[in-house]
Amino acid sequence: MKTWFHSWRAAIRIARRDAWRSKGRSALVLAMIALPILGVSALDLTLRSSELSPAERADRTIGAADARFSDPTYGGVPIFQDPVGDMNTPAKDYGDTAWPSGPTDVSKAIPAGATVLTDTSGSAKLTTAHGLLSTDVRELKAADPVARGIMTLLEGRYPEKNDEVIATSHFLEASGLSIGSTLSARNFDRPYRIVGAYEIPDALKADQVNALPGAFHVPYAKAVAKAGLQPPGATTTYLVRKSGGFTWNMVKEINTKGVVVTSRAVLLDPPADSEVPLYQKDGWGNFESSAAGNAAELAALGTVVGLAMLEICLLAGPAFAVGARRSRRQLGLVGANGGARSHIRAIVLSGGLVIGVAAAVTGTVLALILTLALQPVLEETMGQRFGAFDVRPLELLGIALLAVLTGLLAAIVPAVTASRQTVLASLTGRRGIRRSSRVLPLIGLTAVLIGGAIALFGSMVSEQFIVVAGGSAIAELGVVAMTPALVGLFGRTGRWLPLSPRLALRDAVRNRGRTAPAVAAVLAAVAGTVAVSTYMASTEAQYEAEYEARLPYGAVSAFVMEEGGRDVPAVREALQRHFPVDVRADVERVSVGKPGCEPWSSEAGCGRYEVVIPPGNECPLYVSVPGGGDPSEKFTPEQRRKLLTDDWRCNETGSNGVIYVDGGLMVGDAKLLEVLGIKDAGAEKALAEGKIVSFSRTQIDKNGAIGIRQITDVAAADKASEEGRPAPGKVSSIPAYRVPGDPKTYGLQALMTPATAKAAGLSTVPLGAYASTDRMPESEARQKLDGEFNKLGSNVEFHLEEGFVNENSIILLALAIFAGLVTIGAAGIATGLAQADAEADLKTLAAVGAPPRVRRTLSGFQCGVVAAMGVVLGSAAGLLPAMGLRLTDERERIRYHEQSVAEGWSTDLTPPDLPIVIPWETLAGLLVAVPLGAALLAALVTRSRGALARREAT
Amino acid sequence: MSAQQPVLQLQNLTRVHGAGATEVHALRGIDLAVYPGELVAVMGPSGSGKSTLLTIAGGLDTPTSGRVIVEDTDITAASVKELAALRRRSIGYVFQDYNLIPALTAAENVALPRELDGTSARKARVEALKALEEMGLGHLADRFPDEMSGGQQQRVAIARALVGDRRLVLADEPTGALDSETGESVLALLRSRCDAGAAGVLVTHEPRFAAWADRVVFLRDGAIVDQTVRSEADSLLSGQVAEA
Repeated sequence: MKTWFHSWRAAIRIARRDAWRSKGRSALVLAMIALPILGVSALDLTLRSSELSPAERADRTIGAADARFSDPTYGGVPIFQDPVGDMNTPAKDYGDTAWPSGPTDVSKAIPAGATVLTDTSGSAKLTTAHGLLSTDVRELKAADPVARGIMTLLEGRYPEKNDEVIATSHFLEASGLSIGSTLSARNFDRPYRIVGAYEIPDALKADQVNALPGAFHVPYAKAVAKAGLQPPGATTTYLVRKSGGFTWNMVKEINTKGVVVTSRAVLLDPPADSEVPLYQKDGWGNFESSAAGNAAELAALGTVVGLAMLEICLLAGPAFAVGARRSRRQLGLVGANGGARSHIRAIVLSGGLVIGVAAAVTGTVLALILTLALQPVLEETMGQRFGAFDVRPLELLGIALLAVLTGLLAAIVPAVTASRQTVLASLTGRRGIRRSSRVLPLIGLTAVLIGGAIALFGSMVSEQFIVVAGGSAIAELGVVAMTPALVGLFGRTGRWLPLSPRLALRDAVRNRGRTAPAVAAVLAAVAGTVAVSTYMASTEAQYEAEYEARLPYGAVSAFVMEEGGRDVPAVREALQRHFPVDVRADVERVSVGKPGCEPWSSEAGCGRYEVVIPPGNECPLYVSVPGGGDPSEKFTPEQRRKLLTDDWRCNETGSNGVIYVDGGLMVGDAKLLEVLGIKDAGAEKALAEGKIVSFSRTQIDKNGAIGIRQITDVAAADKASEEGRPAPGKVSSIPAYRVPGDPKTYGLQALMTPATAKAAGLSTVPLGAYASTDRMPESEARQKLDGEFNKLGSNVEFHLEEGFVNENSIILLALAIFAGLVTIGAAGIATGLAQADAEADLKTLAAVGAPPRVRRTLSGFQCGVVAAMGVVLGSAAGLLPAMGLRLTDERERIRYHEQSVAEGWSTDLTPPDLPIVIPWETLAGLLVAVPLGAALLAALVTRSRGALARREAT
Repeated sequence: MSAQQPVLQLQNLTRVHGAGATEVHALRGIDLAVYPGELVAVMGPSGSGKSTLLTIAGGLDTPTSGRVIVEDTDITAASVKELAALRRRSIGYVFQDYNLIPALTAAENVALPRELDGTSARKARVEALKALEEMGLGHLADRFPDEMSGGQQQRVAIARALVGDRRLVLADEPTGALDSETGESVLALLRSRCDAGAAGVLVTHEPRFAAWADRVVFLRDGAIVDQTVRSEADSLLSGQVAEA
């Protein structure tokens, strides 16, 4: 033990000083190992710091209160909730029958003698320096000690009067307002003065304004209602303080009154899952701790970490080999002075240890410094303040140990190789021919075969993605193990090459020990890149084939559903102003009830319309069944398939467009047909004649008319629908003209003019506009239009049809660049190693009269040879798993498609076709440009004159 | 002198490189004994087998036949591990140049064999400093090799070769890379170590340096063609010089 320890100390001393003497190489390897450690440690620190302790979480959600009481709006029926208070459901099972609904009187659940602070939230369109901004307005008496911790006052003071508010710094930034400015809301003439700025530690990016309780929402709702618009809702929760707090049993007791409680005591000491009635209910189990899921996650994490370490080892290994080769004579001297093989191994391994420890320290320290320094930036990015700067020494140590391990692993092969050299050979610089192992290629071949078989099984028989991925990973490791043997095969091509490339190739093949790891490093990086690129390119080709335009190319649509289309004129005008509009078609929608109602609203005074499907026109698979139930159940799969293919009621192609109103019904004029590219003289004539132009056979009844039902009693209609009866309401029947053929309508199924609608007794409100453009609008115009829409304060549903947009090209490029860098790095290291080895050859070459440039070209070719071998093998190794994965996907899609058709879910009968596309640009870049670039780079940085030949001991 | 046990004994030593047509006889039936306090110079033309003799004597190479006995141990029968241990404890080497490990200071270089042997760093350093002091090199202790002259490096190498209980120093042209004056100082040191009881074998092709030896052995084509004792050495060498 003692002997071992002392001789290692000497070895480490030599390694440490050597590392210091060759600073460039050491720094390179150190950076290679330290960078991932830095990244992972910083991630760990950030995650751990942003992860709040239960106490911190409680402070941020309920301030200094003991609990927050909130109303789940189940009308006060007993409920079950989870300990945090995020999930809840009525205690009773309601199944398909109507669920209880309505407000609960929370105050009844608050125990006597408790202090209560209300917290009300609702949204409002506030006036800003730029226009309007939809903002959360909160009424919480922030200055109250009970609220302490929920928000942090940054500047100014808390509001003291009803016309004072404070605002989040994010709101102030977004709105262009500052402390001292006044703000108000649309349809509301009362001004509020901003007296302070605050932030919500959990939501730094929230736009929020805080007023005193009762100061905003009640008068605002009154003003909005007065303007004939739908008042926005506001919800109130109660912060309750009571001595002793609320235990889980008390929470469960309060749940019986239909109130949800978020209790500090429960947050700090959560009950066991078995004590949570909610988790005992079907479908509400606590999913957080699934052992299988955790194991799968761990396995995935382990694989990624393992592969990353392998890659780093493959890259760093040759660097240690260069070191060992360069200091061969030194190692020989150690041998001459009594160093046994174990001592030589220890010295080279110590090199790995020293660099690994240095990388671990550097990575961890930098991670600490960077995370601390960048804390504000990180918090802003994550939109959340850290709890406390949480350093977990054990986790950081674990991550740092990975660096040490990587350094040691990378030095193992060079260490063993160095120790096998005889002392005499080391001293005299004699280079024996080192045979590569015969066992390794066999193991590799076995792994390739087994891995390939698993992947093949995965893609042909099973549909498990993980099987294909796992098989491919095993096969790829096999290829890595076979690299020395494969490199040997390349040597055969050398005969026909000119001197420099021939020398480079022979040298690479004769010294497989140093070539193979570099080639393997390139191989691994390229294989991954090619696999991902191929998979992504194929997916993209598929998406492109499946892409369905929602409008004709270059056309735009912009709709506003809110506030009875109040902002529609501004939207139309902005569109006309910023875009190169050719034809603009203004559209309206049918509205029922008050004009300010949004479609599908269930507020009092609001209604909706529906396009009536005559009973005989309904597809039997979707027809509503009295009493509820699935109508398709009475058909066999064969019958369902037949209905879908042959029955016109069922195979009407679905609409894919920008229309979100019932029945695809628009109110507009013939310009809309022009924008959508529908040419039919009859249609224009029909519009002029006051008919409704229809593109749907199922909507037209026996008399050739379309019925539009106005539903004013929404509750009665919902009930009727649940029971499978037609909804009550007045039906207006309008004569229809059906457009012949099957033109592409982008979701439009029926069109009538405003005059026709009026004549039929239907009221309409502005919806927006469609427009065709002269040319594709430029990015600048789009940004301006976006900006203009944002200032309106209304939600504008905007679509510009650009055709299929390739979203992955940046990722593909980034991957190619990553693989390129790894390739150049690995090839460069291998070249350095070859140069260290080839010194004697170069001297001989110079002695027989080779010009100095041979040195350059030789090193260029040495680099190029490694890069070329790596990318060729890597490309081959990467294509296979990608193809396997695509085949798995295809099988899965086909199976799903068959099932959908059989079950009657889908009317699309063309079986899915998943193309396999090889990303030729990426491949060409990797196969040609990268080796060429690597070769040129190596040639450029190599000195053409060698050091003077020195005498060697004989 | 002859009453003592020899430190190094070579018995009927042969070394053949290659086989068949490429067979080369580097050493043919060498017999040689080196006693404590004795410095033996080995001379001969290039390719005569001088360096092979030295590498086999130190266990860096193995003979084709014959025996090498270092302090009662037959090293031809020793394992690689035992040989390494022998080099740590019994045999010291001095080469023509680049003798010192550039990453270690003079003292650390001298301490290296002891440390490799498991002696604690502090104890090894004390021994190394003592060895350096004895040879008048104490002032070089904390210098790195690239901060020393060639002669200083060679003298530190001799100190390392003899640190601890080692009594056999094998020097392969230790003065080859030095000017003659520095070479003389290195030889003087080697001589003084032998006078203090060590046994030394010195390979050289310079008669001037061979004159420091007690005995000169001449090699030609792998065989000993002549050997002198010290008293004859001078006259023989002067004849050699005259011939050259």
